[in-house]
Amino acid sequence: MKGRILLFLLILFTCFSCRNSANKASEFVFPESDSVPLSEAEKLSPEAIADISKNISSPVEIANLLQMLEIPFGQDYIASSIDANKQSTSFDKALKLGILGADLGYLNMYEKTGSSLDVLSSIRKLAEDIKVGQFFDFESIKRLSQNRSNLDSLLFLSIDSYNKIDTYLRENDRGQLSALMIIGVWIEGQYLATQVASQFPDTMLIDRIGEQKIILNDLLLLISPYCNHDSEYTALCNDLNNIKDKYRDIRITYTQGDPVSAEKNGGLVITQTETSVVKMSKEQLDGIIGITKSIRDRLILNN
Amino acid sequence: MKKIFITLSFLLGIGILSFGQVTDQFVSKCAMNAGTNARYLKDFRIQLGKSSAQKELRFKANMSLWKNTKYRFTMCSTEDSKGQLILNIKDEANKIILSSFDSKTGKIYSFVDFTCNKSGIYQLNYDFTNGQQGSGIGVVSMIK
Repeated sequence: MKGRILLFLLILFTCFSCRNSANKASEFVFPESDSVPLSEAEKLSPEAIADISKNISSPVEIANLLQMLEIPFGQDYIASSIDANKQSTSFDKALKLGILGADLGYLNMYEKTGSSLDVLSSIRKLAEDIKVGQFFDFESIKRLSQNRSNLDSLLFLSIDSYNKIDTYLRENDRGQLSALMIIGVWIEGQYLATQVASQFPDTMLIDRIGEQKIILNDLLLLISPYCNHDSEYTALCNDLNNIKDKYRDIRITYTQGDPVSAEKNGGLVITQTETSVVKMSKEQLDGIIGITKSIRDRLILNN
Repeated sequence: MKKIFITLSFLLGIGILSFGQVTDQFVSKCAMNAGTNARYLKDFRIQLGKSSAQKELRFKANMSLWKNTKYRFTMCSTEDSKGQLILNIKDEANKIILSSFDSKTGKIYSFVDFTCNKSGIYQLNYDFTNGQQGSGIGVVSMIK
């Protein structure tokens, strides 16, 4: 009994040490082990998985940053080579559903709604193929795209459709497809950010790329239970671990401060004075740009 | 008997579908009312019963927030809710960095704008005032 209590306390201590290490050291670090242990990922509750899914940043945020930096739209960044009719496995379909979802967010934010119709058709086909087409409000999204009248509604409907698909897949024991979709969204968002950064090396954008270190482990947690599923999953897990390796020596440090609040137009306005600072060399950035491109290009050509 | 069963199943089905539509309309309305300069990102759908002893806000969700981004957190409660939807956000050190409820004055803000300068995973905590029963939506948008 004593031994069990001691073991329990040891586990508890280890867990808290990992979780809070970033705060104590005022620096974000990956957990000690080189990869996420399968057992840890398998222990995740459905709520924890749902939490991780919600937690991954939206591609719309990257597109918003690009707009804020006045970076022009680039059609070449879109994964136009994906042919929805040539995707044979549910792995390919779910992953590409994610990739095209990120592209749709990018197109919508830049109001390139004419170009988004092809992407929409592919999304519809892929969603129907994995039996989640009922959650994608294709007709409404198409109508809003053609009208170019209400970007807010368009963004809301597109994102909401993806959220519904994600929830449905997780609640119906198809979590592996949900994980693939989320990873697809992330990889495409990362591809967009890195490709733009290689052309327009803005500090804010480069920082955002470096900050992805914060959520990389969560992405690995999502896919880890399926890494031994088959060769496609194993390859994707290796890809993500290779990206993680490129991030290993990138440092994210924090400075302390209290938030400042004020009232404005009946609402509360809060400005955070704490900051995060990314330390990443040109070589490290180039390494991330290179590996992201090679992985993403291989994934979209895998018809 | 069979007819009654079919009728009940049909009515239940209609009820579920209608509830789904009502929820979607409510979410959509709340998201659209976040402001013309706000771009929808995510929503959290909250339904809570009355709490007997309330220490912390009960609905919890994690979300990554990114430096150099202005977020708007909008709270909408349904008309039949007993309390009003409130939010606080904690950082990874469990420190409250934002609250839509001023405990000193009792003032409740229906939206809070937050300029994020520290990228990280934050905990969003929602509840209804005084641990009351209620249904509501928390919408997260970006401000241009």
